[in-house]
Amino acid sequence: MPRRRDLKKILMIGSGPIVIGQACEFDYSGSQACKALREEGYYTILVNSNPATIMTDPNMANVTYIEPLSIDIVTQIIAKERPDAILPTLGGQTGLNLAFFLMKQGVLKKYGVESIGASVTAISCAEDRLLFKKAMQEIGVDVPKSGIANSVEAGMKIGLGIGFPLILRPAYCLGGAGGSIVYNKEELEKFLYKGLETSPVHQVLVEQSVLGWKEIEFEVIRDCADNVIIVTSMENVDPMGVHTGDSMVVAPAQTLTAEEYRNFVNLCHRIIRRVGVTGGGVNIQFGQNPVDGHIVIIEVNPRLSRSSALASKATGFPIARVSTKLAVGYTLPEVINQVTGKTTAFFEPTVDYCVFKICRFTFEKFALADRTLNTSMKAVGEAMSIGRNFKEALQKGIRSTEISRYGFGADGKDKITDEMLKNPTAELIKLIKDKISVPNDERIFYLRYALKIGLTINDIYELSRVDRWFLDNMQQLVETEDRIKTYRLEDAHGEIRLPAELLSQAKKDGFSDRQIAYLLNVSEDKVREHRKKQTVKAVYKPVDTCAGEFNAQRPYFYSTFETQEEGRPSKNKKVIILGGGPNRIGQGIEFDYCCCHAAYALKEEGVESVMINCNPETVSTDYDTSDRLYFEPLTIEDILNIIELEKPMGVIVQFGGQTPLNLAVALRKAGVNILGTSADSIDVAEDRKRFQQMLHKLNLLQPENGTAFEYEEAKKVAQRIGYPVLVRPSYVLGGRAMEIVYDESSLEKFVAEAAKVSGEHPVLIDKFLEDAIEVDVDLIGDGTTFCIGGILEHIEEAGIHSGDSAMVLPTFTLSQELLAKIRDAAYKMAKELNILGLMNIQFAIKDDRVYVLEVNPRASRTVPFVSKVIGVQLAKLATKIMLGKKLKDLGFTEEIIPEHVAVKESVFPFNRFPGVDVILGPEMKSTGEVMGLDKDFARAFIKSQLAAGQNLPKKGNVFISVRDRDKRAIVFIAKKLHDLGFHLLATAGTAAALEKNDIPVKVLPKVAEGRPNVIDLMKDGKIQMVINTPSGRIPRQDEIKIRSHVILYTIPYTTTISGAQATVSGIEALVKKDLEVQSLQEYHKKAKYKSSKAKA
Amino acid sequence: MKAMIMLEDGHSFSGQAFGAVGERIGKLALNTAVVGYQEMLTDPANAGKILVLTYPLIGNYGVADKFNESDTIWTSGLIIKEHSRIYSNWQATGSLEAFVKAQNLMVLSDVDTRTLAVHLRSKGEMLGIISSDCGQVKELQAKLDAFRNKPAISMLPEISVKTVTAMEKKARAKKKVAVLDLGITRSLLRQLTASGFGITLFPYDVSAAEILKTKPQGLILSSGPEEDVGMGVVAENIKPLIGKLPLLGIAAGHQVLCRALGGKVVKMRLGHHGVNYPMSLPPSLKSEITVQNHSLTVDADSLAKVKGLKITGYNLNDRTVEKIESKNLQCLGVQFDPASPGFDEVHPVFAAFKNMMERSR
Repeated sequence: MPRRRDLKKILMIGSGPIVIGQACEFDYSGSQACKALREEGYYTILVNSNPATIMTDPNMANVTYIEPLSIDIVTQIIAKERPDAILPTLGGQTGLNLAFFLMKQGVLKKYGVESIGASVTAISCAEDRLLFKKAMQEIGVDVPKSGIANSVEAGMKIGLGIGFPLILRPAYCLGGAGGSIVYNKEELEKFLYKGLETSPVHQVLVEQSVLGWKEIEFEVIRDCADNVIIVTSMENVDPMGVHTGDSMVVAPAQTLTAEEYRNFVNLCHRIIRRVGVTGGGVNIQFGQNPVDGHIVIIEVNPRLSRSSALASKATGFPIARVSTKLAVGYTLPEVINQVTGKTTAFFEPTVDYCVFKICRFTFEKFALADRTLNTSMKAVGEAMSIGRNFKEALQKGIRSTEISRYGFGADGKDKITDEMLKNPTAELIKLIKDKISVPNDERIFYLRYALKIGLTINDIYELSRVDRWFLDNMQQLVETEDRIKTYRLEDAHGEIRLPAELLSQAKKDGFSDRQIAYLLNVSEDKVREHRKKQTVKAVYKPVDTCAGEFNAQRPYFYSTFETQEEGRPSKNKKVIILGGGPNRIGQGIEFDYCCCHAAYALKEEGVESVMINCNPETVSTDYDTSDRLYFEPLTIEDILNIIELEKPMGVIVQFGGQTPLNLAVALRKAGVNILGTSADSIDVAEDRKRFQQMLHKLNLLQPENGTAFEYEEAKKVAQRIGYPVLVRPSYVLGGRAMEIVYDESSLEKFVAEAAKVSGEHPVLIDKFLEDAIEVDVDLIGDGTTFCIGGILEHIEEAGIHSGDSAMVLPTFTLSQELLAKIRDAAYKMAKELNILGLMNIQFAIKDDRVYVLEVNPRASRTVPFVSKVIGVQLAKLATKIMLGKKLKDLGFTEEIIPEHVAVKESVFPFNRFPGVDVILGPEMKSTGEVMGLDKDFARAFIKSQLAAGQNLPKKGNVFISVRDRDKRAIVFIAKKLHDLGFHLLATAGTAAALEKNDIPVKVLPKVAEGRPNVIDLMKDGKIQMVINTPSGRIPRQDEIKIRSHVILYTIPYTTTISGAQATVSGIEALVKKDLEVQSLQEYHKKAKYKSSKAKA
Repeated sequence: MKAMIMLEDGHSFSGQAFGAVGERIGKLALNTAVVGYQEMLTDPANAGKILVLTYPLIGNYGVADKFNESDTIWTSGLIIKEHSRIYSNWQATGSLEAFVKAQNLMVLSDVDTRTLAVHLRSKGEMLGIISSDCGQVKELQAKLDAFRNKPAISMLPEISVKTVTAMEKKARAKKKVAVLDLGITRSLLRQLTASGFGITLFPYDVSAAEILKTKPQGLILSSGPEEDVGMGVVAENIKPLIGKLPLLGIAAGHQVLCRALGGKVVKMRLGHHGVNYPMSLPPSLKSEITVQNHSLTVDADSLAKVKGLKITGYNLNDRTVEKIESKNLQCLGVQFDPASPGFDEVHPVFAAFKNMMERSR
């Protein structure tokens, strides 16, 4: 059936900022969908609030709106663009929910917009718990015993009727937000409250727990002619009870018989038909009792999902592209699979390898967070690895997560040493047993410890419910480790005596050189040399969707230790781009965006691009982003292996964030040509001493500072420069272990923490400039010409990590004089470092003086944001510069100062970590960002707040409590709120300041002192906004309580005066109802028109 | 134990042997399915072949009697990448290792099956010899040559039922169907039973007259080893039944039926062996993913000459014939296997055959 001709314009909704449960997988699927629709000649309209995405590049859709994903705004866009259809299945739960509410409110009907991909009925059937349960029962599919609760009372009744343990799932929530496992009456009540709050429709499913059952997933696609295919099965290594987004997962399923597999397939067919998807894919999750095979269905996602991205990357079957084609009327047999080039999409992929997915957590950023894994997702990223067996995939997967581990333990980084495990104390045995029976982020390593202290596979199975098959594979790794250890050398310079056969087996089972080196007590280089001598070499095998049946046209590759090389690189001129690995806080989609642009630029320059990355969520690991793709861990061993095969003219390390940058020195030592800014300049920027010398030479200011390896040294430095000081480790991203320290008593603790992260490098101690304004500058240079991409002013004052701070472009409070100083400093440093490519500088401005805080000779987190604002693709230009082009040839030599205003705001995962204080500091905590774009600051800011999910009020009560030195500033803010018709509530101190200025305010008692206090009012929904600046370095218990309730009840809040100022001006714009929408293309057209007029 | 596989073209791959030891010769047949090793080994369609599984992790879920497609293993060898040393599934009653040992099957594991598969893809299917003695290359070559030059012996006498066997006594109410046992699988029998057929199995060499004597309402030609030399005779035997009795051919049985109709069976360069083959059924937009296991195919041009016969299903990838139908000749044939393991639904082809039988009355 040909594509539908009755549709001309199609609206796509993106998934908004990166949050836990919704990451770059939706940029990947959205970008694929954009391409698929444009191939068909449709006019595409895209709305997404996330500027760091490839999908919001102005050439992806015909019209791109970077606007808040709110019903009001999207309705405006629909009214303006008048699309014929909306494709809601690509924007995750956010996109699906938005489409659903647009339908419920009659917007789609009013403007005659059809929902394609998943009809409204299909969405309801899968998402509405009651409809879903009924539908499944109709087709004979068992569901766990459950009931729907719309109130706490109803939920208690249902729960007590079913019996404990129970699982609570709020309806219409992504990533299991608000979901929990409860074991008793008290917990049931507590979590019912929370779940009802979390669910946008105030509905919670109370469900029989199938804890410990096998968790099996299928990706299924159906077209309008009722053709159905299974893309792949997946089996969770962590059984039911851990959110699948937090679980280790293998594809295909490993422990199902043919009969079981067939039964699952039959169920999938029935389910997708009953749900009624007629042009798209679904993800189906089952639970299976491992004792009798009883199957229950857990859930169906009638949209693209994290799992579908994983399934696509695992099999080479582009689910998003195919789903999009089906949504516009094609049938599966009509769509060609571009990976094989020989089969159509009506072909079930089959694999001849094992795929492993493992998650990246960031509990270290949230000191008080509970590390237990449950049904509410907590992972911030994931890595995928491929091996010819599970053992190889597992070990590659662990080293792909970049947590400084190089495999399944045995890498010298184990928390519990072999010595301790040999004669374990009762205490240790208990710890290990606890750690394997209660799922947590370190469980995989504790499984190894459990094997090493001699627990049997059955013992471990009973405790962990991890299938015996996986456990036995782990056991095999432990055995191999022990065998290798018998060849340990006393003298690290001795000759390696490891037999070739054992070496070869170890490599086949995924042992890294680093692990073998540790076990043999020699250097990694030595193992590598020895291995080459023994001709134990990695070869590359394709992901071809067909297990070798066809000679695939566009496969991608993974390494293994087999007999034949199938990588067969070309002789073309080529460049390797090192990707950023799994998402984490501080390194995410922004860097993937840059890597993709590097690939696009290489294509434009006629140079072959070779991408190395292991993150299955990303656009960079899509089959058609680069010419060749290697799905591999980003470690020196794995990268060098590829370099030896591909022989590139150079390697780009600037774009993948800190991961590749940290490898630059080792790569250069191995003789690899690093493109762009030299490794030496990178070292100048990273090495404190050399950096200081450079600033001195250029006559630039820096906050007073020093370095130290331990506390005593640090104490002296701090005494010299005076408190407060900023303590941080070298060579890290995202402000890991960074702290502002106000006195000696807390210095010791923070220095110790930083020293741990810093490793062999010293801890950095800087004078902290209180109340300074921070500024970020992104700059591009070709060695002779340098040009600023953007100067971004932070809205929050200094001390908050630049990744967490809201920023505005262009600057709005800085004088021309200061700006001139900033520009001068930036250009001086760029010239001195001979920047070839991108560079990011952080300045602090205090008392009209410009201090240099930091220089990063690489793409920064703000590159995509700046590129979108000024309409110049900086990462692309930077790549071309690395190939020898000049800025002059590329037509970018003058800084563009936009007429419009763009605000970048960050979003935080606090709702995932109950009990963690929401206060911001020098350690980055945000997972993603949004952009607010409008003609002035207030409007742009308010859009950024709306996009970040702050449900800003137009009327109601505002609670204000600020520290003493903010009391002057708050008066103006409060006055404006009062004028806008808000009622003000405040604590005694703040109230006094307001009353003195004749602003009416109601005084509330301190939480401990009386009731009703602010907490009570929040619970009753009587507080619409909170302004609360922290009173000092040790937050008062009151404040923590207030801030944690703010998260619990999703009340908009701000913790800084500047944030409050901006919010209030934004509310003014909101109240006056004059927010309008404008596409990125329109903004850019105006900017270009202006700049060309200026030149003429 | 160290062992190797040597191919007709002189290529060899090393590995480890378990199960039986010694030497085994057969044609190498790839299969790209992820699960179903026990079913494949015990399917008579694979008789005499050395099965190469492209999925690298085998034995994970063990074996269970109920998954046997017949009483015994029919392949002459099995080549895999990694054998799981434990099995883990609630249905399993034993390990693959014990199963092959008891049945005297030689398994070669630790083979780079990916490279072997790609080799076969580019060079075509060929003979091979597995040897745990790792003997002289020349010696093994000679053995392969001898095997190739030796006149082929049909395995049908061994595979098929020896006597006419009624599967169920109280078949009165059901459609009485004769099934020519060319290597029937238990899955196929289950499908037929579930379709409401009263089944009588006939030995492969039965004559048309003998079948007609029992007055069946239709005849089903089962799947089996398609390349067996005995298949030509079977085709001749059933020729007289065309037009007299509704006929359904399945897989090898489909090829036999086509030969009886005057079609030509030809060798494919690389057969279809897996569970993911797309079949289109024009003009319908609805297609089907099918299980296939064949290295021979019926030449479409030769079928075009048969009057009243229509090719109704094609493989979407290479346009080979998957399904034929003829109303006036009362014939139905499917090259794919409509009886994959575990199916708790009945394949529509059996209902279609039932309709054909009804119309013929």
